[in-house]
Formats: sequence, structure tokens, C-alpha cells
Amino acid sequence: MTKNIINIGIPSKGRLRKDILKIFKKNKLNLISERGERDLLGSIKNLKNIKILYLHAREIVERLGDGSLDLGFSGYDLLKESEINIQNKINVSKRYDFGKATLVIAIPDPWIDVQTVADLEEIAFEFKDKKKKRLRVATKYPNLTREFLFSKGVTQFKLVGSLGATEAYPFTGSSEIITDITSSGKTLRANNLRILKDGEILKSEACLMISKSSLKNSLIKKLIKSLSK
Amino acid sequence: MKLKNLSENILKSVKTRGFKYIDLPSVIETNHIVQRSGENFRKFIFSFIDQNGSELCLRPDLTIVSCLRYLESNLKGKEKIFYSGQAYRKSQNKKDSIIRDQVGFEIIGSKDEKIDDKEIINTSLKSLQNIKYSSGTLTIGNIEIFNLLISKLDIPKRWKLRLSRHFWREKYFNDLLKRLETNSDVDPTIVEIDKKRYFKMLKENLAKVVAGRSINEILKRFDNKIKDPRGTGKGKNVSKIIKKFLKIKCPINEAANQLNKFFKNNKINLAVDQKYFPISNNKISKLNVVFSASFGRELEYYTGMVFKIDIKSKSKNRNIINGGRYDKLISDLGSRKQVAAVGAALNLNY
Repeated sequence: MTKNIINIGIPSKGRLRKDILKIFKKNKLNLISERGERDLLGSIKNLKNIKILYLHAREIVERLGDGSLDLGFSGYDLLKESEINIQNKINVSKRYDFGKATLVIAIPDPWIDVQTVADLEEIAFEFKDKKKKRLRVATKYPNLTREFLFSKGVTQFKLVGSLGATEAYPFTGSSEIITDITSSGKTLRANNLRILKDGEILKSEACLMISKSSLKNSLIKKLIKSLSK
Repeated sequence: MKLKNLSENILKSVKTRGFKYIDLPSVIETNHIVQRSGENFRKFIFSFIDQNGSELCLRPDLTIVSCLRYLESNLKGKEKIFYSGQAYRKSQNKKDSIIRDQVGFEIIGSKDEKIDDKEIINTSLKSLQNIKYSSGTLTIGNIEIFNLLISKLDIPKRWKLRLSRHFWREKYFNDLLKRLETNSDVDPTIVEIDKKRYFKMLKENLAKVVAGRSINEILKRFDNKIKDPRGTGKGKNVSKIIKKFLKIKCPINEAANQLNKFFKNNKINLAVDQKYFPISNNKISKLNVVFSASFGRELEYYTGMVFKIDIKSKSKNRNIINGGRYDKLISDLGSRKQVAAVGAALNLNY
């Protein structure tokens, strides 16, 4: 059975949205929003059975996972951070050359004795054994952070969820170190943080993703082809 | 039904050896697990929040729950206990069941460690009599020997601690050995840059705290780190010795001999007596008994003797009993004193 309406998710805000809209323009797909730029629903001119939904980039991944979106644009980091049952339901059709950022571990710059994750592992045990506390890691990416730290031998830590301004956490007593997404490292440096030498968790960029349940739809295939150019 | 009968027969066998049956709660505070086994353990547990906002989880392991009971009931002195029930764990492997039926028995708070180790192994062997099998292996290891070896090696203290901490994680341990060989965690160029900073920071208020660590603490560790005197040759040699040690595997009656030969050949000032091992017979009923220096890597909490029994049943190899000593588990869970503990769990879903 072919679905009549195809739902495409586009990030509703920011740089990512702008760059993605450019792809549509380049492919002569005219996006229309009846109520102007703040409209969260839209369509493509002359393609009546396509619906555009403007959503938070994290939510686009979720909706692709539950099949309510057929196609979506989001960050590779957000896909990898999502739960495994969601990841299993999504294919990445194209990794673009924009939206580039890296998820990294950053520590307070004055910790000059800590250069690598191996140092961090020792510090984590010092916290546990001598201070009887856990090293706290603030992050918006708990899953990726947990996996990475564990694979590098850091087992003794506590994650602290953060929704924004994570860089301030080590200096407000909310955590000791952080993981965060960065493109130039400038914000981290400005906040007295330093990226560990081997502290790169994941390289990310904007991606075109498809819900696996929509893989067979011929119109979707066509769309992917043109949006991947 | 079959499972129930089997479980009852095994429980009977354990009881005849003087163990006392106890009930254990199915739900515990998640914090105990995460505090003990680290944040990554979250992947395996089924957790939820109660009406007071506390995070609870289904017990992923019966040993931790039993040790918690000992701690929280303020028990003192020796306890010989056994229990049965289900443990609940998520698994990456789709074929694995999330429910594991287990029978466990433990000796907690006793001072006769060697006798208790024997008692736990003998109780395991007795329980095994209820199970049909054609052949099998009882593998015995000892993490204490590994830690003793590490303590005698010519490497900085932080490396010794590191290797001891990660013995149980084979893959990461091998990465560590590679790093030890190349000494790649001290980068000379970065050290030079940071030395300037080091001298500058020495003039600062040393008691000042940056993200939970005092300047004094940071500088001290920096100083220790750059004084790491090893050349790469030394690291390679130490790594070679460790790898050779981990390959030692032999019938149990040769264990002391083989280890002593190894220590002598590598000029390590250690000696082991055969009495150190809980068993010296190479064959017990249908089981071959072997010593393996690398065995004991499944669980972080083992601290001394470890053992497992694998059997061949219906032409398949199955792991049926795992056990060992975990003298630090109760103190890790919050006890001020270290409480000796040894135990084993029998897997009923073999």
C-alpha cells in the first residue's frame, strides 16, 4: 500500500533550517506556508500530496522512528543519541556538508594534569575513592556520553542532564566536566573549558533521513534523489 | 514444572550443608546499582520512579541485593545464607531472556576465608548432582594473584592501580597494555607547555577549588605524572610479563608449580603454595578441574578466588555455576568496614 500523503520534517529554527530550505530552493521545490514564516505546517508548490512539518530537530528523529514522518532533516548526533529501537527504524540517505559539529568532552582548563580520557578515568576513581563522590558529567547527550566514557574505561561517573548553557555547569557546582557539541571550540574556550586530546565522541552533520517503513514508496525515492544532490 | 522441581532439589542440597534460606526484595534503589557498577549499568536495568521521586529498579542480580540486606539490617558476624528467585536484566542479544532464574548461596562476614571458599565450591558441586550432564570443567582463578603480580612490577603506581581496576574488562585491558607499551599518555610537547602554567599556578592560592578539585591536588598529580620515568622498553617488557601470566592455564594440581616457575623466570619476588587453591584434585566426578590465570573477568566485584562450572549436556556446552569472593562489595555499597563475602549462583535456565 502506498501512503497518499508524504510527511517531511524540517527543523523549525536556526541555521540548520536555513541551510535546508536552500536545498529545496536549489531543487526548484517551492515551499509554501500559508501563514508566513512562523507557520509550523507547509507544502510544496504543485506537489499536493506532500506535507511539510516544522519541528524541533530532536523531534524529527522521534517522528521518523514512529513512522509519522516519512522523510526528515536532522543532525547525525541526534540520531545517534536516540534510543536503539528508534535508530533501527531510520536510514540515513544523505550526509550533507553543513551543520557540521563535533560532540566532545571538555574539562575545566586549569585541570592541567588532565590531557586524555585515561587521565579522566583516574580522576573519576579519585572522586569515588577519596572524595566518596561521583565525577559528574553534564550533557545534553546522555546516551552517547555514557557509551563513549565506558568504552574508554571511565566507569565511575554520574550524568547530569542539561538542556542548555552546559558550559557553565563546572563553575556553578552543577557538574565537574561536560560533553557538548561544538564547531570551532570557541564557546568552550571562552568558558574556561578545554577539549581533551582524545575527547572526540562523534562527528556530526546535517542529514537527510528516511523512515524505513517508507523505503518502498516511489515518490519518496524520487524526492530523496533530488534532495541528495 | 521441571524448573520448579530442579530448583527445589537444588535448594534441598544447599540446605543440607547448613545454609539458611532468606527472602530478598525484588525491587531496590537504582542508586545502589549505579553507585556500585557505574552509570553504564543503567543499560541493563529496568528502572522506574516511585511516587516520592526515588528511582527504583528490578533486581538485576541477587548477590548485590543479598549484600544490601546484610548491610541494611546491620548484621554482624558470620551468615551462611541461600536464596532463589529471578533476576531481571536487559540484554543486547535478542535470544537472551530478560528473566534469569537463579539459586544463590553465600557466606558473609566470616574470617576463615580459605575454608569458606572450599565450602562454596563444595556446595556448588553438591548442587550440581541434581543436574544431568556428560562432562564438564570447573575453572578456578584468583584475582588476588593478578593484583600481587601487578604490585611487584616495575611501573608507576598509577599504572598499577589502572591495571588492577580494569582486569575484569578484557578489551579495555588490552588497550591499556598497548598504551603501557608506548607510554602514549604522556605527551612531551604538551607537558612542556603546561610546565609554564604549572609554575604560574604554584603561585596561586593552592586551596582554591576548580570544579571539585583544589589547585594543590591538580599540581600534585601533574607533578607525579611528568615524573613517570619509564622508557618505552620497560613498558614493553612489563606488558610481555602480564600477557605471559594471563596465558597460564593448567590442571589445578600443577597451578602452584606453574606459577612459581613463571615468577622465577621473570624475576618476580612471589611464591604460591598449592594449599592456596581450594582444590587440588584434577578430576571431581565428571568435571576436569583447571586453573586459569586470566579467569575472573566477568564481574567487577570479584576480589579473590573465582570459579565457574561449565557442563556438557545434550551435546551443548552450558555455563551453569559462577562464583567467587567479593570482599569489597559490602563496603562499596556503604559499609564502613570491609566485610568478607564469598558466594555462587546457579543458573537454572541453562
